[in-house]
Amino acid sequence: MLELTGLTAGYHGGTVLHGLDLSVPAGTVHAVVGHNGAGKTTLVHTVAGLMRPDAGTVRLDGRDVTGQPAHRIARAGIGLVPQGRRVFANLSVAEHLRLSYRPPRGGDASRPSVWTPARVLELLPRLGERRGNRGADLSGGEQQMLALARALLGSPSVLLLDEPTEGLAPALVRQVHELVTTLAEEGIAVLLVSPSPATAARCADTLTVLTSGRVGLRLDGAGAREDPTALHAALELAPTGA
Amino acid sequence: MELLDAHLVPAVDGVAYGLLLFVVAAGLSLAFGTAGVLNLSHGMLYAIGAYTGTELSDGTWGGLALGLAAGTAAAALAGAGLSAATVPLARRGHLAQALLTFGTALVGGDLLIQFFGADELPVRVPGALDSSVHLLGHRYPAYRLCFIAMAVALAAFGTWVLTRTRVGAAVRASADDPQMLAATGHNPRAVHTGVLAAAGALAGAAGVLGAPIIGPGPGTSENVLMLSLVVVVLGGLRSLWATLAASVAVGEVQTLGVSVLPDLAPYLLFAAMAAVLVFRSRFTEPEAHEERGPSSDPVSRLRRLLAARWENRPRAAAPAPTAPARLGAWLHSAGWRQAVPLLVLLAVLFALPGVLDPYSISLAGSALALGLLAVSVTVLTGYAGLPTLGQTAPFAVGAYATANLADAGWTAGPVQIVLSALAAAVFSAVTGPAVIRARGTTVLMITLAVGELTSAVINQVKSVTGGADGLVGFPATRALWSGEGMTEERELYVYAAVVAVVAVALTLLVLRSPAGKLLTGTRGAEARMRASGHPVGRYLLVAHICAGALAGVGGSLMVTVQQYLSPADVGFEIAAFALLAVVIGGTTSVIGALLGAGLIVFTRDWVAGSWPGHGPLLLGALFIAAVYLLPRGLAGLRTAVGRPATAVSTGKAAP
Repeated sequence: MLELTGLTAGYHGGTVLHGLDLSVPAGTVHAVVGHNGAGKTTLVHTVAGLMRPDAGTVRLDGRDVTGQPAHRIARAGIGLVPQGRRVFANLSVAEHLRLSYRPPRGGDASRPSVWTPARVLELLPRLGERRGNRGADLSGGEQQMLALARALLGSPSVLLLDEPTEGLAPALVRQVHELVTTLAEEGIAVLLVSPSPATAARCADTLTVLTSGRVGLRLDGAGAREDPTALHAALELAPTGA
Repeated sequence: MELLDAHLVPAVDGVAYGLLLFVVAAGLSLAFGTAGVLNLSHGMLYAIGAYTGTELSDGTWGGLALGLAAGTAAAALAGAGLSAATVPLARRGHLAQALLTFGTALVGGDLLIQFFGADELPVRVPGALDSSVHLLGHRYPAYRLCFIAMAVALAAFGTWVLTRTRVGAAVRASADDPQMLAATGHNPRAVHTGVLAAAGALAGAAGVLGAPIIGPGPGTSENVLMLSLVVVVLGGLRSLWATLAASVAVGEVQTLGVSVLPDLAPYLLFAAMAAVLVFRSRFTEPEAHEERGPSSDPVSRLRRLLAARWENRPRAAAPAPTAPARLGAWLHSAGWRQAVPLLVLLAVLFALPGVLDPYSISLAGSALALGLLAVSVTVLTGYAGLPTLGQTAPFAVGAYATANLADAGWTAGPVQIVLSALAAAVFSAVTGPAVIRARGTTVLMITLAVGELTSAVINQVKSVTGGADGLVGFPATRALWSGEGMTEERELYVYAAVVAVVAVALTLLVLRSPAGKLLTGTRGAEARMRASGHPVGRYLLVAHICAGALAGVGGSLMVTVQQYLSPADVGFEIAAFALLAVVIGGTTSVIGALLGAGLIVFTRDWVAGSWPGHGPLLLGALFIAAVYLLPRGLAGLRTAVGRPATAVSTGKAAP
């Protein structure tokens, strides 16, 4: 369960997120859509600890992890699949798996399940075929799988996916969505960020339209799939930039 | 066969020497390649190991083991300390690190001399190894053979850790993307500290074990640093095997080369380095810098050139405002505030002869010469984005040109200045193509090679340069065509000040013109400049030539003011000082560079005058203080005073 309250963050001289409230219960997918500059990646980076929030709290399963360094937040159970995948160019797939695998210490009951390299390879068999290849030598889809595997190997209770289908072929996009649904069924709370409402609506339980760093609209996924007009209206009306 | 036989001993020596360099250079390369720290105090870490090992080694195995443990631990601790020291510099680039680590090296070197004395220490090895063995009919020191085995083991262990273990994977991942390493639950700070401690440990262990080969002494740090920099340049940062090959090659040059080709040996190292630069190793990033003009056929180039000129014309032909209006506008603009420090500096410059004693005045003259060198470094570093350690080369060309001209009877100042500038410009035109193709730290390495190669030539061509003895006794320069030669300090100083003011004024005019903006644009957004049709390579070459000419003028001034010339005046240390003066000054500030040079000369020669022998310590302290207290250099002070709130709090770069 991920809970953000009053989250405010920004860069030198400009606030990007303005007191955002958002929660992702375990086992659900919360999609955040918005135009470029709406604050989607800032949101992900703030939750993952790559940026410090100026105000507000980030709670993970009730624990306050606000402002902690990224590696602590990762160990607390937040997995990040960043925009642009950012796989390690000079590490082989096998090294990625070995480096990222962190068996949870003690019997941490809040973790939905433990991901071992073997289990990740079962879910993403393509990576097994490419074990010896360097990150830089993988295709876009394979890199996306590797980035996902890297996040899963920390056995996260929350998964942050920043534009996971960016630049992928339609068939792969569908595969990513199926994976997201599967992972949510495993009990992981998924925060999915996407510029496209259609992709987001397909697997989301809840949808938030981010407008200039504020919640522009919030609706449930089923409603958005049935009648996307409200969603589209919110996005078209949302001004770009701030 | 006989020839082979005669050179067997130096050849094996070369392997030992090379492996020693490999262990040291591996540490340097590790710190730079994976932790992003350009550690100019790496040689000092070696010296720490060498001194510690030598003090503790009493000719027993236990002594060697104790020395190895203590020396490695001490150097590892120093490395970890360096990691902590670079935390506040995380966003400040390699030049700030260079300032810090060079300062640390100076301070550390001075402290080591305090503790262990200024003499080279004798090194004792365990009794069992203090003998010689038979090697294909030759007697060979057993210790060296043993060292070869130990170095190979150390190298193999290091390679195994880096490429086969999870720790090694974390290290390589942190080199690639520390943020993502953190997002996988690893603490990148811990990795950074660990890497620098390991790099220090490598240097320290090499120092303990290698003391019988490169022993502890006052020159050890610089010697080891220079050789390992050469190895890193030759071997590149990507492959340990390439580094190994480069190390052994350098080792052979230093041993076999000296025994086979004694006359050419000083060049061999730099010839190898130059060859690598010409053939472009993978050390540089050529894909980003290749000339990729839209098309290279001469007609379309000419057309573009004409079009560019045509576009510029209307601006130049715009009706000029009348003089009073211009003055009013200028007074209301920020221009006057920029000019105030300039005017103050000018007033101080010409008031100095009235207040200083002759010795200080002559120091001030040297400071001006060094200041011009620093300004030329600013042009390259701050404007063209080519941080350079090699501007002492054109500086030297100008200096030796002036000395030789004076010797040949050409003593008129203007003639000396112009011809020295020309000679330095021609020199820079020759070296330019090798320099301008690289960017960033690679430029530092390449220009270092250029500077060192020039130093080697200076030491060899004795008929022109006087070799290591330098040149003295040439006729004094005359300020103009007529009149007596200047010998009095005040005269010389005024001459130097006038020349410096003219040269700096010209430089400022050029930098404030559209030409300066083109350079700034190139530094800031090179790809965009290329994409909009600018021949970036040509701009950089022109900048390199002009900066060379400026350095040549500085060299000429130095000779005139000092009335002697020694190779130390144009050596690596001066190159480093010039670059550090620029960093202290604020990188893009011409006036800051002059003040930085003044501050360095003041600290090294004037303050240290009251505490003899501690010039390096004071300079080191100055550098370390400057890196923390003046994050944007002396130029940042002015901005901070003028606009305290905005400029400081946002932390943006000085305009």
